[in-house]
Amino acid sequence: MSMRTLTVRIKRYVPERDRAPRWEEFKVEADPHDRVLDVIQKVKWDQDETIGLRRSCAHGVCGSDAMRINGVNRLACKVLIKSLPSDVLTLEPILGLPVIKDLIVDMKPFFDHYKSVLPYLINDDPPPTTERLQSPEERARFDDTTRCILCACCTAACPPFWGDDKYVGPAAIVNAHRFIFDSRDRGAAERLDILNDTEGVWRCRTVFNCTNACPREIKVTQAIQEVKQALLTGEVDTHSIVNIHQET
Amino acid sequence: MSVYRRGLVSRWVEGLRYGGGVGQWSWLRHRSTGLGILLYLVVHIWDTFLVIFSPASYDAIMGIYGGKFDGVEYPLLRWAFRLGELGLIASVVFHAVNGLRVILFDLSPIRAVGAQKELFWAVTALFFFIMIPVAFIVIHSLVAEPTTVTAAIMLRLDLVRSFAY
Amino acid sequence: MAVTARSRRVKPAGGFELAAWYFMRISGLFLVFLALGHLCIMHLIHNVESINYNFVSDRWTNPRTGYIWRLWDLTMVNLAILHGFNGLRQILEEWINQAKSRVLLRTGIWIFAGALLLLGNYAILMFVKDADYLKNRRDAAADAVTVKAGVERSGSPRTRASVVVFDAQR
Repeated sequence: MSMRTLTVRIKRYVPERDRAPRWEEFKVEADPHDRVLDVIQKVKWDQDETIGLRRSCAHGVCGSDAMRINGVNRLACKVLIKSLPSDVLTLEPILGLPVIKDLIVDMKPFFDHYKSVLPYLINDDPPPTTERLQSPEERARFDDTTRCILCACCTAACPPFWGDDKYVGPAAIVNAHRFIFDSRDRGAAERLDILNDTEGVWRCRTVFNCTNACPREIKVTQAIQEVKQALLTGEVDTHSIVNIHQET
Repeated sequence: MSVYRRGLVSRWVEGLRYGGGVGQWSWLRHRSTGLGILLYLVVHIWDTFLVIFSPASYDAIMGIYGGKFDGVEYPLLRWAFRLGELGLIASVVFHAVNGLRVILFDLSPIRAVGAQKELFWAVTALFFFIMIPVAFIVIHSLVAEPTTVTAAIMLRLDLVRSFAY
Repeated sequence: MAVTARSRRVKPAGGFELAAWYFMRISGLFLVFLALGHLCIMHLIHNVESINYNFVSDRWTNPRTGYIWRLWDLTMVNLAILHGFNGLRQILEEWINQAKSRVLLRTGIWIFAGALLLLGNYAILMFVKDADYLKNRRDAAADAVTVKAGVERSGSPRTRASVVVFDAQR
């Protein structure tokens, strides 16, 4: 495939220079097999070194380069140039979080919400002499939500979160789900109590932007609905996802 | 260090520019129809309250809904209110049908949530299935004299009317 | 291999927001039938242009079916107001998230909703037919008909049809 000439529109915000974000345009030659991250790096190296972005592993695992690409939240390292429908590429910081510089947002509010749901194993039972065993079914019950990389694509795609930054957001609920439905964990009641709040799961309006945005293809809305159902029935099925499937 | 925080308007505008899927548009429509219905509900409770407070004013208001002001008919006003009526019915029908979709998500977190796109199309189909004949009935009464077929339907309707009113 | 029970009971959750969530679903289900039924009767079977004081008073004071319509309207108006204003509260709280502002917001919303509930319930429960008004209105209409005799009748066919039915019922 031949090279494509892309018009890259980046929403710039340089705190020393700008009072509000403004658009800047760059022309770049890009290989169709390049990723959006490569294109940004090219612009940064060849045209404007002041462009600010976060990146680390560049392979869709660390979750640091979440940004709004052509209107939707994606990881820049996972979008191929050949997948772009047109030669205009727009890049913006994700919504709902304060912008520090260009494509970099302040992730502190996001991680505060994450911490608020106690995202760690809680089990005060006397430590067993062997490992805490778990059947394959019990492990499968929360497998989907273990894959979260905390990139904030989902939370920053959530319309209720855009309005209300006190809402814990989909990512925090996904990580609560990961422990609530873990058979080794004993903190379900505590976490459900935290999420049973105006700013907890009840703020979710099933918009599905989170599920569409997740680069790990986690069924985010489903996880949130399962937490809601646990609150409504007072029952946490830690054995298998199939059981709940049959009941509903 | 100064960070940039979006204001209320900016958050709205940016949010509307977000390329969400069918779920986002359903949510936005559910919300706007809900607000529209609530606005009409407030007006409607006030005008119905007149029925006990002042029958004459009640009849005057109902006349305005029918495009008549002070006994004189204004075709433009009449059309405006009939189109508004159609908008109200469409809002309630959409809010109701989409509301059932939302309830399904709660009842079945796996199957219904997994089929959200199919459910969106089911809602759309059901909405038009209901609204096309409704729009016909509402607009037909404005533009056409009854034909043999519609006259027959009208006669049946009169029977229904004597029970359901 | 069984390490834990298949499912665990946790303390059944309560709280306002959960109750509000339940209420929205249940009232929503009721309103699907009540509100769509109401629209169907008023806008399709009848016609907005044929609804007037005479129609409403007949409807609510009919010795056989009046109670049913009043019960219908009563349930519908109460559920609709609570459903609608709770929805409004949820929308506004998305944009107003300071604790103090929220208290003000909730107070305002429920006072306004309470006033509307009062109006709606009062109108439906306390309604009595104003016979004098109807008689005057009929006399005036009769005069108008005499004056207009021979002149082509106006109004839509459906309006005309329902007027005939109601005149026949009286």
